[in-house]
Amino acid sequence: MPKRKNWQIGREQDYPYEAAPPKRQVAYIFDTNKCIECQTCTIACKATWTSGKGQETTFWNNVETKPYGGYPTAWDLRLLEMSEPARWARGVLETPTVFEGLPPNQPPRGHRPEVADYGAPNLGEDDVTANVEMGMAFEGIHPMWMFYLARICNHCDHPACLAACPRKAVYKREEDGIVLVDQERCRGYQECIRACPYKKVFHNVISRVSEKCIGCYPRVEQGEVALCVEACIGKIRLHGFLSTREAPRPDNPLDYIIKIRRLALPLYPQHGTGPNVFYIPPVHVPDAFLEQLFGPEVAAAKALYREAARDRQLLGALLLFGATNKIITRFAVQGEEAVGWDDAGTELARVPFTEPHRVRNFFDERHGAYRHNTT
Amino acid sequence: MAEHDAGARPERADAGEPANPGGSTRRSFLYQLALTGIGAAGIARQAAGAVGYLDVLAIDNPLASYPNRGWERVYRDLYRSDSSFVFLCAPNDTHNCLLRAFVKNGVVTRIAPSYGYHEAKDLDGGGASRRWDPRCCQKGLALARRFYGDRRCKRPLARKGFKAWADAGFPRDKRTGAVDAKFLQRGKEPWVPVSWDEAFALAARAAIDIARTYSGEAGQAKLRAQGYDPLMVEATQGAGTQVLKFRGGMPALGLTRIFAQYRMANAMALVDDRLRDTGPEKALGARGWDNYSWHTDLPPGHPMVTGQQTVDFDLCNVEHARLILVWGMNWITTKMPDAHWLTEARLKGSKVVVIAAEYSATSSKGDEVLIVRPGTTPALALGLAQQIIAEGLYDEAEVAGGTDLPLLVRTDTGQLLRAAEVFAGYRPAPLANATLVTAAGESGPAIHAQAGAVIGAAQREAWGDTVVWDRRRGGPAAVNRDQVGRHFAALGLAPQLAGTVTVTLASGERVACRSVFDATRALLDASYTPEQVAKLTWVPAAAIRSLARQIAANPERTLFVNGMGPNQFFNNDLKDRAIFLVAALTRNVGRIGGNVGSYAGNYRASFFNGLGQYVAENPFAPGLDPAKPAPVRSYWKPESVHYFNHNDQILRAGETVLTGKSHIPTPTKSIHVSNSNSLIGNAKGHYDSIVNSFPRVEFIAVNEWWWTASCEYADIVFPVDSWAELRAPDMTISATNPFLYVFPTSPLPRIHDTRGDAEVAAGICAAIGRELDDPRFADYWRFVGEGDMRPYIQRILDHSNAMRGFRVETLEREAMRGVPAIIQTRTYPKVGAWEQANEDRPWYTKTGRLEFYREEPEFMDSGENLIVHREPIDSTFYEPNTIVAAPHPLLRPKRPEDYGVDPADLGSDARQHRHVVLDVDALLATRHPLHAEGYRYVFHTPKYRHGAHTTSVDTDIVAIWFGPFGDMYREDKRMPYINEMFLDINPLDARELGVEDGDYVWIDADPHDRPFRGWQQNAERYQVARLMARARYYPGTPRGITRMWHNMYGATYGSVRGSRENANGMARAPETGYQSLFRSGSHQSCTRGYLKPTWMTDSLVVKGVFGQKITQGFVADVHCPTGAPRESIVRIERAEAGGPGGQGLWRPARLGLRPGYESAALMRFIAGGFAARTS
Repeated sequence: MPKRKNWQIGREQDYPYEAAPPKRQVAYIFDTNKCIECQTCTIACKATWTSGKGQETTFWNNVETKPYGGYPTAWDLRLLEMSEPARWARGVLETPTVFEGLPPNQPPRGHRPEVADYGAPNLGEDDVTANVEMGMAFEGIHPMWMFYLARICNHCDHPACLAACPRKAVYKREEDGIVLVDQERCRGYQECIRACPYKKVFHNVISRVSEKCIGCYPRVEQGEVALCVEACIGKIRLHGFLSTREAPRPDNPLDYIIKIRRLALPLYPQHGTGPNVFYIPPVHVPDAFLEQLFGPEVAAAKALYREAARDRQLLGALLLFGATNKIITRFAVQGEEAVGWDDAGTELARVPFTEPHRVRNFFDERHGAYRHNTT
Repeated sequence: MAEHDAGARPERADAGEPANPGGSTRRSFLYQLALTGIGAAGIARQAAGAVGYLDVLAIDNPLASYPNRGWERVYRDLYRSDSSFVFLCAPNDTHNCLLRAFVKNGVVTRIAPSYGYHEAKDLDGGGASRRWDPRCCQKGLALARRFYGDRRCKRPLARKGFKAWADAGFPRDKRTGAVDAKFLQRGKEPWVPVSWDEAFALAARAAIDIARTYSGEAGQAKLRAQGYDPLMVEATQGAGTQVLKFRGGMPALGLTRIFAQYRMANAMALVDDRLRDTGPEKALGARGWDNYSWHTDLPPGHPMVTGQQTVDFDLCNVEHARLILVWGMNWITTKMPDAHWLTEARLKGSKVVVIAAEYSATSSKGDEVLIVRPGTTPALALGLAQQIIAEGLYDEAEVAGGTDLPLLVRTDTGQLLRAAEVFAGYRPAPLANATLVTAAGESGPAIHAQAGAVIGAAQREAWGDTVVWDRRRGGPAAVNRDQVGRHFAALGLAPQLAGTVTVTLASGERVACRSVFDATRALLDASYTPEQVAKLTWVPAAAIRSLARQIAANPERTLFVNGMGPNQFFNNDLKDRAIFLVAALTRNVGRIGGNVGSYAGNYRASFFNGLGQYVAENPFAPGLDPAKPAPVRSYWKPESVHYFNHNDQILRAGETVLTGKSHIPTPTKSIHVSNSNSLIGNAKGHYDSIVNSFPRVEFIAVNEWWWTASCEYADIVFPVDSWAELRAPDMTISATNPFLYVFPTSPLPRIHDTRGDAEVAAGICAAIGRELDDPRFADYWRFVGEGDMRPYIQRILDHSNAMRGFRVETLEREAMRGVPAIIQTRTYPKVGAWEQANEDRPWYTKTGRLEFYREEPEFMDSGENLIVHREPIDSTFYEPNTIVAAPHPLLRPKRPEDYGVDPADLGSDARQHRHVVLDVDALLATRHPLHAEGYRYVFHTPKYRHGAHTTSVDTDIVAIWFGPFGDMYREDKRMPYINEMFLDINPLDARELGVEDGDYVWIDADPHDRPFRGWQQNAERYQVARLMARARYYPGTPRGITRMWHNMYGATYGSVRGSRENANGMARAPETGYQSLFRSGSHQSCTRGYLKPTWMTDSLVVKGVFGQKITQGFVADVHCPTGAPRESIVRIERAEAGGPGGQGLWRPARLGLRPGYESAALMRFIAGGFAARTS
């Protein structure tokens, strides 16, 4: 089997196909510290893409509460149970990915959820890890905790769905790295569903083919962010591209936050698919739990986030989240503002670090009215 | 909307395996084929037998390239739309979002945020930044499924029994006027479709008949014969129109649509004129019910301290704070579009402290988290105040110049010492600091031309001036209401705060006086030290001390962001008074980064304070020139609906009437409500209202676009346009953001036979005019008839302080692009009390200061002249509503004996006026009176992220996310819908009760009055009203505390019948399609309304709702009852097992995935056992 370099695990790994990276890779940053689990992203996606028959329980985007939540039920726990506990040494994964340690000619390690696992999509909402007692008072890492994890297809560098498909009906677009299931070619074997560690491919029982998040390519092609990103009122999401064939650019906000500052981390990098949704870890949750999800750089990322108030460049990039529904490919901090542009150099967003405060004239002579705050 | 019936349940996913049973061997074969390249002809031929149905295509490496991408047009086609338009989504959630609807083949297929907020401008060209975008939420984006949903109100409907009553000529009992019960079987009867004209005629004839029946002496005699309180009957003044009640729900959310209800109430003066021949001078209109206070959104202590309805600020102001106390507010679930301001402030270094009765969703965003006992907010705040004073951390200048704390109180009478008592011949000083004193008979300038507070000469005289003890000169000195802030500092006084002084009065009498500060400090030190408060709130004393010091260390940079949690307790006014005390002591009132705000409800109609132009246009002489202002005369009278909610009664203790004269309601015989499910379907004490109050109401009309429980119990349902179908513009504002919103006219054709709310009001009035042969009724709504609301809107704009200068056409044009305007208040963003804090203007109080002492008799009698902690009236483990304080010479409440009431009566009614003082330890030795009978769980009902009240909670794709029990397939046929409500209970408590996660439980509150009075004699109704829900093991609520979200549609007669008769078992009313999310009961089965004497005074001085005039006593939505709907202590019993069909555990618990049922793997996961670092 060919070997591919996986920067997220610091080494080469087995993967059935070799190819040059796409021209650029669509990627997302989700700040878990800002996610409010409102499911607006979920509905923005659902109402547009999966509101048909056979898609009743399909949610390409969902938000779940960790650790008790998961859609489909226990999607990640089941794979963790099938895998060796992730072991890292100086940023290098020592344990096998889902493509490794298997007998010859086996599709990636995985499991296929039952129908019932697509019920109770919001199981575990807000459930914390220990009983709260009245009168508790605490700071720092919370003694009982939960946090919200928004999830979409990761449009992986090494997609397990693509690797598993006996029909080769799953592919990765060379222009943006979006991973798609060819709806004409798919025959509904559901091997992609079994293989995807994130369970973000779904079977449609009416059309009898597999369907998955399309990365909102009809929008991306127009320079617009995905619907789930556009609708994110928590402003937790930044949607753009990672540089793939050149060094990370400090003026590309995704390169900067993910690759240069390493503030945002991949979800379950140990599975080896090279996911392209990157999470800023929740600062109130113990590292031990988070390292299972986001790898060994959790503590550093949390510390960096806590210092962001004094880090103008980083803060500027973070304040651009949700500032526009167009894709920002270049940003800069100018004085008290962060600015974002597209490839053509068109200014897409300009946001102040602090929303301005203005005092108007008490008597408005032009309109003949007194202006009060208490009316 | 699609039904998700199990009949349509798909086969199991596993059945989709390739047919060959070869299992992993076959899978591996297919996989191998793929890897070796089925494009290679030889292999393809070999494989043909096994995979004969595969077409062979040359795809060597799908990671590198893919040949057939033409199919991608499928999703581009799905995405494409023909056109789009903008509409305003405005449920009662305080946000209001301009949303863009995308239309395909004439149908709205998807909805998106407008991203237009950053283009918003004020009249000076000032803008908002892109940090405001996007604004929307999941409920709004799902609205397409609601616009076309099967529960739309589609055509006018009349209840069969009501129509029979009308058709029979409104027969009544000759003596009492009462209507036979056979005509009043609401909720159980079929509906009759009627035309719009018939519906208008029915409503008109009902209104006229009711008004005629109860007019004059004879009408009042009938009301007395029906048993109404004589004071309430007297309050009608013999006008039958006074028993007609109108309510526009959250009317600020539709200035012309929803306020049309109150305009209609005003028009009823014409009916009175016709029935009693009163002429325009003596005619009386109808009564209009309150909103902000009815929803318990009003923080009633704000007017007690500040004289104004509410102090608050746009939530984005957290940008400017260093310390943010999110106190009793689940910000990230109820203020969702503004949640980012909080998380970004934290990102930028502000500290977020979350104070809640649970580990709330918002607690997960907290840097410091305090878990408090519910209903103990007054105690916690008083503990903070005690510590701040004891450690000398308070701001002396702020205390001296901004509060009543330095003012002297007479220790004998408990009254503030007046300058006229001390200084012979003292005359109140002329006022020059932003106060206008009008002579008797003068009304002062128009609202938009009012520069500051407007008070009458008589008020000025009655309030007088107050006195401080000047430490420097060693004697008393007069202070008037001008002298605040720098104006006080300029006097050079050094007010003595500590100790008792003896003042010689002008009469020669010598009286002992002490400052409010001194009296307050003595109470705090004796009763509310951190150790004592820790016993009450269960928050460690060290945490109280630490928080007090943090607040004091952040003057002008601490925001107190208070939610409706503590506000929904009976002690809510004390809560406000105590929190303001902490804020004032630390210079944290009225500053952009340091202020107090209360967040519940979207109430700020006062920003449209020229609204009288519309609501109170003179029906006897309407202004028919659209270019001119309207002649205004208000004939309608506001009233608190809490009395109706209280079995249509006022509060009496023995023979003493505790409802102030200015508050007295009239009997309720007719109700017309629009845009609200809160008055009927989702009311506190809902089932008691349905069973015991509504049968005395003769006519109920509801305007709705979605069939709610309120529609279930109506007599006529007027179907109105949804937000996507408005034929005319309308406008609204928000209490929490700085925008002025116009609802643009929609290009979408009406989906059903609906009309606008204002058209309904105009149609009813026109029908009354036809019945009475009086053209004035139609004239009153002439512009509506002409299809244009813009003249009405422009008149409101022109007469409002914060709106004058805006043009409706411009606003609408911008709104159609998805761009709101910015309201022209004094500051951007809005900062409540900015003028007082930054320009040293007086407050809207008697003294012009923040008032922490209440000398009025109602407060003295209640033992609340000083700020005390009262236990909750029901939600406590201890003796309810007890005043918790050590003896203090100024605490002299009336005891039960003083009212002639049995002091041992601890019943839920008697508690309302029970003023018993116990110190902390004595309180803790008591028990709730129902404790022995198993009522041991506090049950509270907050609001949550998945619903704006009940809006969108029954839209399938929203409903499925509401908590853990969603199931599109309805595996368990007992489920009322694809989801259902649940009780959050601590796992340890549940175990003790023998309740498993997912089980159904019964939840019962005080059997005296809940779920309704008389349930013991009415099994049929009890089966509908008794609360049953799933239990969720929820570790986030402490032991003894349970929670059920407020948002869901409750059971009705129809839904319960449906669950028995429908083949699929859904709790869906067969007749109407009403969908309950409870099998029986609702969260309102366990709540009720309460009346508190301090909410109903005739003496409190407050600013009116609109404009700068200061008034006294009842003001709707400012000073009136708020109800305490969060309060309940319940008994919980297991009803049925949670597994499908009532067998065993429900699946997630069985799989070891639930709190309390964790499998070894889940335990390992939580502990981080699936990763190990070697270095």
